[in-house]
Amino acid sequence: MTAPRSAALMITCLADVFYPEVGERIVRLLRRLGVTVTLPPGQTCCGLPLFNSGYHAEARRVARRTTALFADAEAVVVPSGSCAWMVKHEYPGLLADTPQAAAARRLADRTYEFSQYLVRELGRTRFDAAVTGRVAYHDSCHLLRGLHESESPRTLLGNLEGVEVVDLPGADECCGFGGSFSVRLPEVSTAILDRKLASVEASGASCVVACDAGCLMQMQGGLRRRGSAVRALHLAELLAGEQGERR
Amino acid sequence: MTTRAEFVARIRGEMARAAALFPAAPAERPARPRERLDVLRRELSERWPQTLDRFRVEFERVGGVFHRVASAAEVPALLERLCRERHARSVVTWAAPALGVDVAPALEAAGIGVETMPHGVPQDAERERLRERVARADVGVTGADLAIGETGTLVLRAAAGRPRTTSLLPPCHVAVFDRGALVETLEQVGIALEAWHDGPPAPGRGAVINFITGPSRTADIELTLTRGVHGPKEVHAVFVDEGLRVTDGE
Amino acid sequence: MSEPLVTTPLRERAQAALGDRFLHEALDIATTKFIGLRREAFSGFPQGEALRDRARAIKEATLQRLDHHLERLVDNVERLGGHVHFATTADEARDIIVAIARRTGARMAVKSKSMATEEIHLNDALAAAGVTPVETDLGEYIIQLAHERPSHIIAPAIHKTRGQVAELFTRELGREAPPDPEVLTRIAREELREKFLQADLGITGANFAVAETGTVVLVTNEGNGRMVTSLPRVHVAVMGVEKVVPSMTDLMVFLGVLAKSATGQKLSVYTTLVQGPRRPAELEGPEELHLVLLDNGRIAQIAGTLREALACLRCGACLNVCPVYREIGGHAYGYTYPGPIGILLTAMLNGPRSVKELSHASSLCGACADACPVRIDIPRMLVELRKEVAERGIAPRRERVVFAMLARVLAHPALYRLAVRMVRMAQRALLREGRAPRLAFLGEWTRTRDLPVAAARSFQERWAALERDGR
Repeated sequence: MTAPRSAALMITCLADVFYPEVGERIVRLLRRLGVTVTLPPGQTCCGLPLFNSGYHAEARRVARRTTALFADAEAVVVPSGSCAWMVKHEYPGLLADTPQAAAARRLADRTYEFSQYLVRELGRTRFDAAVTGRVAYHDSCHLLRGLHESESPRTLLGNLEGVEVVDLPGADECCGFGGSFSVRLPEVSTAILDRKLASVEASGASCVVACDAGCLMQMQGGLRRRGSAVRALHLAELLAGEQGERR
Repeated sequence: MTTRAEFVARIRGEMARAAALFPAAPAERPARPRERLDVLRRELSERWPQTLDRFRVEFERVGGVFHRVASAAEVPALLERLCRERHARSVVTWAAPALGVDVAPALEAAGIGVETMPHGVPQDAERERLRERVARADVGVTGADLAIGETGTLVLRAAAGRPRTTSLLPPCHVAVFDRGALVETLEQVGIALEAWHDGPPAPGRGAVINFITGPSRTADIELTLTRGVHGPKEVHAVFVDEGLRVTDGE
Repeated sequence: MSEPLVTTPLRERAQAALGDRFLHEALDIATTKFIGLRREAFSGFPQGEALRDRARAIKEATLQRLDHHLERLVDNVERLGGHVHFATTADEARDIIVAIARRTGARMAVKSKSMATEEIHLNDALAAAGVTPVETDLGEYIIQLAHERPSHIIAPAIHKTRGQVAELFTRELGREAPPDPEVLTRIAREELREKFLQADLGITGANFAVAETGTVVLVTNEGNGRMVTSLPRVHVAVMGVEKVVPSMTDLMVFLGVLAKSATGQKLSVYTTLVQGPRRPAELEGPEELHLVLLDNGRIAQIAGTLREALACLRCGACLNVCPVYREIGGHAYGYTYPGPIGILLTAMLNGPRSVKELSHASSLCGACADACPVRIDIPRMLVELRKEVAERGIAPRRERVVFAMLARVLAHPALYRLAVRMVRMAQRALLREGRAPRLAFLGEWTRTRDLPVAAARSFQERWAALERDGR
């Protein structure tokens, strides 16, 4: 039996505004796993959009605020690979010469992307499927190359009964979101997206799953515009309760 | 114009302002390369059959044609056959002391013109004529200093009597070698290169070392592979079991 | 400043490229093939990862003693009878080479492929001085005939289909050329063979130069590199200072990863080690060897943000995997070096203004860093360039205003909550079937993609209820 755990949810700006139901599912799921979930109030953003566009002084301000918000968290769970990456990878450097340097390093150590938290922290890998059928998994860039995580989501999906994970050629290729890139060079972003969606549609999957709100916005945006029957879903949306797994 | 001193001073100036990204060192070099090479050669001589096998696989993989003969005496006949198959009328070749076998008599007897590369350096007019001959030859015959198992590569050091274009201008290049040339890996080649450059260069030594890995090729048009662009279209490697008696001292 | 600033907006250049059907087809074929070849080469090469680490370390170690290694190199090249020249700028490099050409009395120079000579626009200078430059690498030959610049670091004509090459040869060479790569290659071989034999001057780049031995190293496939360094009377090699490697042992580490990364070959067909001009005992070889060491913005990066980019081997692997390059090709980048590393090199050569837009020609996906044989963290430096562009006020005013606003909103929860409410209201008012009118960036998104609908209540607004449920 594991000791009682608590986790603070970093909801991320995109999930807060556009995918609150994903947040709700995560909260309910974690609670059923015996994790006490807290939500530090007054969250805004991890600062990645500012950072990626080169506004580092501004990103630092946001990072300081966020670091302070999560100071007391035992663990921080993030539903987006890119935001988790920002905190783990960039916060320590951004805040290195500030009074919060140590706090930022501590936060980086305790922050997990959602699928990583389930599989690597909690060791829980077997869930019931909330959605069945053929599913394709898209590796979001920051999760794959930034956090070196490609297994945990696949493990979770692979264990879902009634779900067939189909091969997605180019799963590790970018969807074309890239934050502000998607609107700075929208035609290029769309061309990259078209290539991704062609692969998704050819795979025979009825939905494409990702662990990043940015990728979901991009892929969903393209699928809907095409009138495609394929849905783009967050991994959490496929997980119902836990299969009775003994640890 | 920037002088050497100015150029280096600028570099020093920037280096002084720079922070190293991380502690790093260049590759460790053999302390006594020539000794190391001798030791390596002894070790390799014990496993040359495996190295030869590997070489053959890799050489063929890059489009080379591999031959094996029991003794040097069989080389001329093989060459004659290759020439006949290609309707080759002229051959340029390194001289017998450089190859370890005399190929000229047999080829000439078969009616094929043979131009042997001289050991010394003749006058300009003769050099011009030789270049013409090489440029028009159908087949070029050379030895090889090394044959690398890992990559199927032949390494040829230019030297007196071992000019560069014999393996470059004719559309068909034939290299004869024996077990003494076999090395397994690029790393071992590094040892050879360190050894070859250890100490003053021998008087006959040339100014270029060529690594040749198969026939010349390009994929510049739609990434479609074509062979025989500027260099040879065919490369043949002839392994001589009993060995070659190379006597030109290069 | 090496090249004039490109003034057409990147977005327009990208759009033009995206609309080019031939280009799209050619790029797709080429990059897909390259990716597969590289993958195959490394999958059968378990030492590959360790070798990449070693290669990276050697490059860094070399920079840490660059002065020493360069001095050794110069001493050794001179000891072998070669001449070394020092070019701080592109202009100077051109002047040096033109002067050598003049002294040689050359009317024609055969060239092996060299991005360094492209970088300094050498061909224009040679032509202006009455020396005809003849590109002999098939890809470079093609683009020279077409009066274009290379669109890929190692496959310069990859943007052309076979049909286009055939048309080009037919038109420019006055001979019937079918769209068959074998035949086209043979035509090029015939056309160029005589030039190799006649030229007085051969010009190459250099992939490496070994300091301990004074060796200039050329990595090629076609044989033109060997021709150019053996047949003409004078050989000029142009090389960026960062290409020096300490020893032969170091060289082998790089040879172990370079060709695999570039084309999937274990080694390129020819690796040519040139050690000075021809020796007295040799029948063949140039009478003169000149090594032109090129700064052109490199030295300033020893202590600069782009130091890591000095490790680049010019293999092109990052281009092949870049989702942006794969869609727009090399010309749309606008400068000599395209693709991910090309953006960094453009900044190195031309300053931050030249990458005002280019630094954003990336989704920061990281595929380039993954593919790089010397593990250059290109995305990190792209962000550094973006930072420079923002902090120096090079970024457009409108953008800086938007981001300043965004920064305030994200730093103040009350502003954030207000912004969320405004987004909801705006969507209700403006979105029709997921599309928005041209409203700054909203229009850019919605032209091709639906926007998700902001939920009636954000997650944080729902938390109170969620928390109650949890008790």
